Amino acid sequence: MKQELKLTVNGQPYEVYVKPKTLLVQVLRDHLGLTGTKRGCSDSSCGACTVMLNGMAVKSCSILALQADGADIVTVEGLARGTELHPLQKAFLDHGAYQCGFCTSGMLMASRSLLEENPKPTKEQIKEGIDGNICRCTGYNSIIRAVTAVVKGEYKEEK
Amino acid sequence: MSSKYSVIGHRVHNVDGTEKVTGAARYTFDVVLPNMLYGKVLRSSHPHAKILKIDTSKAEKLIGVKAVVTGKDTPGHKQGIWRRFPELCDEEILCRKKVRYIGDPVAAVAAVDEDTAEEALDLIEVEYEPLPAVFDPLEAIKEDAPQIHDGVELNINVTRHIEWGDVDEAFKKCDHIREDQFKCPSQAHVCMETHDAVADFGYNGKLTVWTSSQSSYYIQRLFADMLDMSESDIRVMNRHTGGGFGSKFELDSAQFPAAILSMKLHRPVKIVLTREEEFIATKRRTPMYYYLKLGAKKDGTLLAKEARAITEGGAYTAMGATALYLTGFFSSFPYKYPNYRYDGYRVYTNTAPTSAMRGFGAPQSTFVGESQLDMMAEDLGIDPIEIRRKNGMTPDYVVPGQAFIQSCGLHQCLDKIEDHIKERGKLPPNHGIGIAAYGFMSGGIFNWFNTPYAFSAALVRINVDGKVDLYTGACDIGQGSNTTLSMICAEELGVRLEDVRIFSGDTGICPPDLGAWGSRETLMNGNAVKRAAADAKRQLLEFAAAKMGPNIVYDLDIKDRFVHLVDRPERGISYFDVVKEAIRGKDGNAIIGRGYYTPHRKGMISPAYSFGVQAAEVAVDTETGKYKLVNVTTAHESGTVINPVGIEGQLEGAIMMAGGYGFCEDQPMDEGKILNPSIADYKLIRSLDMPETEILEIDTYEPEGPFGAKEAGEGLTNPTAGAIGNAIYKAVGVRINDLPITPEKVLRALKEKQKKKK
Amino acid sequence: MSYKCPVCIKVSNSAPDLARHMIGRGDKVHRDWVNSKGFKYSELLALQFKSFGGEGYKALAELLEKETKVKD
Repeated sequence: MKQELKLTVNGQPYEVYVKPKTLLVQVLRDHLGLTGTKRGCSDSSCGACTVMLNGMAVKSCSILALQADGADIVTVEGLARGTELHPLQKAFLDHGAYQCGFCTSGMLMASRSLLEENPKPTKEQIKEGIDGNICRCTGYNSIIRAVTAVVKGEYKEEK
Repeated sequence: MSSKYSVIGHRVHNVDGTEKVTGAARYTFDVVLPNMLYGKVLRSSHPHAKILKIDTSKAEKLIGVKAVVTGKDTPGHKQGIWRRFPELCDEEILCRKKVRYIGDPVAAVAAVDEDTAEEALDLIEVEYEPLPAVFDPLEAIKEDAPQIHDGVELNINVTRHIEWGDVDEAFKKCDHIREDQFKCPSQAHVCMETHDAVADFGYNGKLTVWTSSQSSYYIQRLFADMLDMSESDIRVMNRHTGGGFGSKFELDSAQFPAAILSMKLHRPVKIVLTREEEFIATKRRTPMYYYLKLGAKKDGTLLAKEARAITEGGAYTAMGATALYLTGFFSSFPYKYPNYRYDGYRVYTNTAPTSAMRGFGAPQSTFVGESQLDMMAEDLGIDPIEIRRKNGMTPDYVVPGQAFIQSCGLHQCLDKIEDHIKERGKLPPNHGIGIAAYGFMSGGIFNWFNTPYAFSAALVRINVDGKVDLYTGACDIGQGSNTTLSMICAEELGVRLEDVRIFSGDTGICPPDLGAWGSRETLMNGNAVKRAAADAKRQLLEFAAAKMGPNIVYDLDIKDRFVHLVDRPERGISYFDVVKEAIRGKDGNAIIGRGYYTPHRKGMISPAYSFGVQAAEVAVDTETGKYKLVNVTTAHESGTVINPVGIEGQLEGAIMMAGGYGFCEDQPMDEGKILNPSIADYKLIRSLDMPETEILEIDTYEPEGPFGAKEAGEGLTNPTAGAIGNAIYKAVGVRINDLPITPEKVLRALKEKQKKKK
Repeated sequence: MSYKCPVCIKVSNSAPDLARHMIGRGDKVHRDWVNSKGFKYSELLALQFKSFGGEGYKALAELLEKETKVKD
């Protein structure tokens, strides 16, 4: 009944066996122990489970794990390079762009995906980029300021 | 940002920041223990019914199911946070004889995985005898309404009365009187992390619980009551918590069933509520019908106010009695009423219980009060800022019989907002700016929980390397108390923020604290932390004085890791050297400082209040009734700002939540069934709807607070709905008295206005 | 002129104020007294939220005017 699933997560190849109805977010959290990605709803509406799949931001609760066979996934645990935080992470720290932190990994991944697609988004485009992610704590504006700071080049390393 | 202090007032990274931005922060949601089982809860599908029989045999036989429990597996007590009033402790959680709302728990299952547990729920057979149900408080008080709780006639759960002066006489002296009615709806907390718990009951008879909570102490104490256990045999650990907003300081249907299952199995059991369960079966904001009568002289002096509220209590008391009282108390804020009267009634209904949510009754009272005040101002031909200026509270005001206001920056806030409105200049058509003023408490004094402990306590331990461990029961639910309290500790002790490590919310190692509600952590726990740090510092300075041998008339202090003479700050020694020698001098014991705080002789409500004025600008599309929140500017004062990044975040977040209350959030019900229990259907403000926000900080100093600080996070949730309502009136001349102000309501009102013109 | 509440120590200086007190108190003893005089407490309370002008009080105040007045 369980099928083989091969995928790369944060640069690391994995091989797991999953039931057909297992969701990608369950593989990441429960099988691979990458609990940075969260779940906040059952209808793919909150964005807390956002990861990057083959370069695109996706809600990992809306994808069956087996649909991600062979895919290249990046989660929040893959943002930093060794001990060097990603510019978005640094910007989030400087701007206090998180409070309880539960939506944060989703926000970071959605922002990263936005910047890979469009390195110089306008404020409106940044808002659109995170419109699929709900935050109940920050009111979004600090997140938008953090992403804007990265866009402006305040964290000069590669984005 | 410049600050006269070394640590507080500076822009710092949140002490939990790196964990949160790297995904390393562990929430209860992430806790996995060896030998752990997963639990699910079976809930009533009837709003009101007798439980005749529960047959769990089929469920128990399902492979992978380890236990099924019902009310009969519990000691049969009822929880309630109003422990001084046993008749208000009315919630069994796992119901034995009766269910009182759709979602009321009746059974729980522990199994090897969630899917199996879910499947087992379908195999539990419950025989109900449905009873007539009642959903509206005005219906529930009728003689022929079904009685929801034994012995509670007319379903009147609690009544509250506040009065001073002589309102009836005063109304006779008024030049103008207004009477208005309003309806305030419920609101869901929508914490990103749903209610969850991992309960682990060991063979040693001790219970350990990891849970998402605002108050580990309340949960510990409530567990002890419900399980007939000794408080100290229960350890509650609040890990990182994904939001609380008032929903997580009572025992809930993830925690209690998990503990009961674990006690039966002696294995850890984890229960995580689904988002749907979160919407239908956790507590929510108290809906209120409000009647207000306001009387003034023609120059705008307010002489009398009469307020009446009837609230939809839902099935259990929960924190609803406090919301009932506070809404009446804050209906008198932030103005000086010489005569005031409030009557509040909380009525049981067969709906999900209504309880505490950020603001605790004050967002409702601020919406209704500020709307009516604007209407009064218009009737009298007085500017809305002017009428508030004329009547606004001032420092050292006494609310008769209720409260002492010490610091109050309301008038400076009014000035700032007046300037802001002038700067916005002439607005385009169908744009409008509306204002609302508020005042809010810094934690509550009322001890209905009947704790014998100090309200807040902290322990500071200086280790041999000079690093400091801070232990406090305070719970960080995202509001940043870990950072704020660490900053207070570092400032008082004279070290840097990075020298302090905080352990919070763990009843096993931290001194008790009442938790994060009523906006109390900064002031109450901040005071405890400051005192604990001062105690440790005093002990350290004894050794420093011995080592340095200064003239006895000189004082020593520590700043930025340097122990020095206060009068000659350049003369001193390294803090680290003193610490090493002090510990050796104490026969090898680390230096421990203790501090605690309970407000005494500060009135009945709170030791301090914060004030503010908010201006909301809207742009209305008169074709559709839709409107955009363009800008929300807030002038507020919260005493000394300890954590500026934190306060900005709390303010903007409050606007999202309070704005949502005015703009779009609603829980329509049909026969007790919530119709939109999902994030897809529950309208929230998302990033595209969020207005521009601006914060105008007013400098004040609150003598009661640590370094002069007082509350910020909850008061800011009060004014936005009122400001939006007033803004819509300014923009297009229609007044909506029931929230949320939806496009449909605006359009309908515009059409009626058109009709009236013709 | 004073109006003494029939079931507790409250003394008002007008019948409408005493009526408001009795409806406002909301506890069993006050409700029982009001109901014993042929009123329905719950209807009086509901009227507080459905109308202005305190109609609920008026009828009760008339009764209290007769029954609870005490000369000072």
